[in-house]
Amino acid sequence: MNASAKPILVIGGGIAGMTAAVEAAEVGYHVILVEKEAYLGGRVMRTHRYFPKMCPPTCGFEINVRRIRQNPRIAIHTMATLESITPKARNFRAIIKVRPRYVTGEYSIDESLAEQMTSEREDDFNLGMAKTKALYMPHPMAYPHTYVLDREALSDEDAAKLRESSPAGAIDLDMREDEIEVDVGAVIVATGWRPYDAVKLDNLGFGQYQDVITNVIMERIAAPTGPTGGEIIRPSDGKKAENVAFVQCAGSRDDNHLPYCSAVCCMGSLKQVRYLREKNENARATIFYIDIRTTGRLEKFYYDLLEDEHVTFIKGKAAEIHKDSGNGDLTVDVEDTISGDNLHQKFDMVVLATGIVPNLADLKLPIDLKYDEYGFIDGSTGIEGVYAAGCAGHPCDVSRATKDSTAAVMKAVQYLNGGE
Amino acid sequence: MEAARNTLQEKSAHREQGNTPAIPGCFENGQPILVEPDSDFVRRIGRRSGDAFMKCMQCGTCSATCSLSSDVNPFPRKDLAWARWGMKDRLLRDSDIWLCYQCNDCSARCPRSARPGEVLAAIRQECIVNFSAPSFFGRWMQRPQFIPLLLGIPVALLALALLLVGPIEDALGITRSLDGQILFTYSSMFPHWMLNSFFAFFSLLTLIVVISGILRFWRAMKSTIPRERYVNPARGLGASILSTLKTVFIHDNFDQCTIARPRYVSHLCVFFGFLALAAVSLWVITAKINPMVRGDFIYPFGFLSPWKILANLGGIALLTGLVLMMWDRFRNDELVGPGSYFDWSLIATLSMVVVTGFMTEALHYLRLEPHRHLAYFVHLVFAFTVLIYLPYSKLAHLVYRTTALVFAEYTGRTSVGGVNGDNLLQRDTIDAEEQTKAVAK
Repeated sequence: MNASAKPILVIGGGIAGMTAAVEAAEVGYHVILVEKEAYLGGRVMRTHRYFPKMCPPTCGFEINVRRIRQNPRIAIHTMATLESITPKARNFRAIIKVRPRYVTGEYSIDESLAEQMTSEREDDFNLGMAKTKALYMPHPMAYPHTYVLDREALSDEDAAKLRESSPAGAIDLDMREDEIEVDVGAVIVATGWRPYDAVKLDNLGFGQYQDVITNVIMERIAAPTGPTGGEIIRPSDGKKAENVAFVQCAGSRDDNHLPYCSAVCCMGSLKQVRYLREKNENARATIFYIDIRTTGRLEKFYYDLLEDEHVTFIKGKAAEIHKDSGNGDLTVDVEDTISGDNLHQKFDMVVLATGIVPNLADLKLPIDLKYDEYGFIDGSTGIEGVYAAGCAGHPCDVSRATKDSTAAVMKAVQYLNGGE
Repeated sequence: MEAARNTLQEKSAHREQGNTPAIPGCFENGQPILVEPDSDFVRRIGRRSGDAFMKCMQCGTCSATCSLSSDVNPFPRKDLAWARWGMKDRLLRDSDIWLCYQCNDCSARCPRSARPGEVLAAIRQECIVNFSAPSFFGRWMQRPQFIPLLLGIPVALLALALLLVGPIEDALGITRSLDGQILFTYSSMFPHWMLNSFFAFFSLLTLIVVISGILRFWRAMKSTIPRERYVNPARGLGASILSTLKTVFIHDNFDQCTIARPRYVSHLCVFFGFLALAAVSLWVITAKINPMVRGDFIYPFGFLSPWKILANLGGIALLTGLVLMMWDRFRNDELVGPGSYFDWSLIATLSMVVVTGFMTEALHYLRLEPHRHLAYFVHLVFAFTVLIYLPYSKLAHLVYRTTALVFAEYTGRTSVGGVNGDNLLQRDTIDAEEQTKAVAK
């Protein structure tokens, strides 16, 4: 390898970015990892389980964290965004803006201090379904395992309490925004995705009816660390959700919303059907779909569910969801295209399988990259030395994202060694 | 239960390869349908519906969105499948295509922008050409290059009739003296007896074409349902006709549109305007033999005569409706649909009838010679055009839609009139067991 090579800048600390960082560092390159949230792990950390093995995301995460900790070549900046990236000869100069955390991390903070706070903030890790104290740990497995202070949510009274608290120097209420300037040799864009705004699906009732939720909300509801402690209950009245509809392609494969297939929602919903069935043996699930897209070895995951008498598959795209005035049940209007009949089925709760929107669709990086019409980086970024990985490039699952990351690191290494 | 059974069928279909799931429309009266794709038909439907219907992925959003479709074997998804397979014969026999009022709720929701509403309109156009004999008229109506020929025919026929007035009158010894009871101030140029017999003759021809079209269309629709269901109708023919007429008059199907809501208003205006003008025309043409006409019958009517008032109101309603239709097609072409040539040619012809009608009226009251006679001639040409091409133009929808609605009521297919519960009658899927037997044969 080229010993004098400049570091690789990885933008995004989700599963794709973390993988790229450890892969590059483990072959001897220096890495600067920039993450806009206060913790690594991104969207995957918010899921309850992975498919198809159904293990919690924390187990893979722990391994990655250990690899990062053991490797001195990785520098991590959380709560950080890119101010600018300027190509300079074959290198890039980047300015990283780091938002103040107000917690220095030099001394550990006792949990009781956070408990003493009276001011609260919306828990964004749990998608706003719960509250945290203004001084909070983003989630139990957060890395860096350091508290964060939400200065805007903090009351004067709490601020006074924090000034007096010990140990001195643990919290710095006057911390300023920081700017770091670095020279890097290559850039890996792993900016990830967000779910499609389900409010735009005005025929499906999200935002109108509390019991119409999205797949990302379902992940938090099913997770033991989530707002319900892992109990699948319907939001309106806390009643156990026993008869749940899963509406596929909520926004995806739809010219009026996202014309492309989001690639993971079929497996995601099948996985969530298992959450429901594992937690409650009486629960019933109905999946409304256009096509079930479980490719390759994932097909078995689908076939196994076909054996379950409590799970019904109906081939037809849900056209309308409305609420009964009586018991508050939701009705899904759909044509069962196999029998050729219009159905109006009732459910306790409806889960919309919302699709993947690249974060780059509206949050552009401060460098002029080539995007497709939906905001994905399709293949080449248009700039040599800049490569995309994971959902920045196309909708994909964890296994595909990590393979992307390895490939992106390979290209970056070739570039650093004088290749194209 | 139904859904559960189908899901089970699909599950087993997944496991055992070669076991095809039940697809509605593959069977008719227990027999498998032989698909004979008509690729020209597929191309024509594509051309007239925005060339997008091949993108349809059969998700069923259209059927579930449609407020007029029934719960059993709904449209338009199945019709899009048939259209894609080039099953022209099956589609033209389907009464469902006429239960659609093209409010385009389905097109707006379609995830593939396949425009099911436009596709059904294009199929209806094919239906008109197919059932109105001779079919070459229908084909001519679909292409702009035939405009001169199609307009030339009524011009020539009317001109010929007017030229022959003198010789015929001489030969028959008809005198032009006023007979004291009926006064026609236009009679010097357009004698009443000539216009009457001329229009009566061509109305009769049109009626023959319409009736033969209705009979053939009815037989075709009848062939899609089992005999025993046909002989035990959901309701009597008289009751079906009455309930259909009620639907047509109050426009309650149009009323269910959400996306293209303005269609309800514009069609209502055109419908009642047209009806008023047709009634006045009929009154005038039959004046001589109508026992209800007492005393002097003076035509053209005075401005304040009740018939003239009705005619003027009808003309205004018709024109308003037509202008609204044009406005909608220009402004909301994404939702209402831009309209095909077939559609626009009717709007244009009807507009010409009203405009020339009002022109004639104005020139008449101004007593402008010979302008009023010229305008009247042009007006007669357009009115005649509407009449003789009725079975072949988009106006034929009043024949075929009404027939299809009556058929749907009769067989219990339609949701109109609250016979939803009986619409199992038209189900053309049958039990899996029967299907297997049919395939084995």
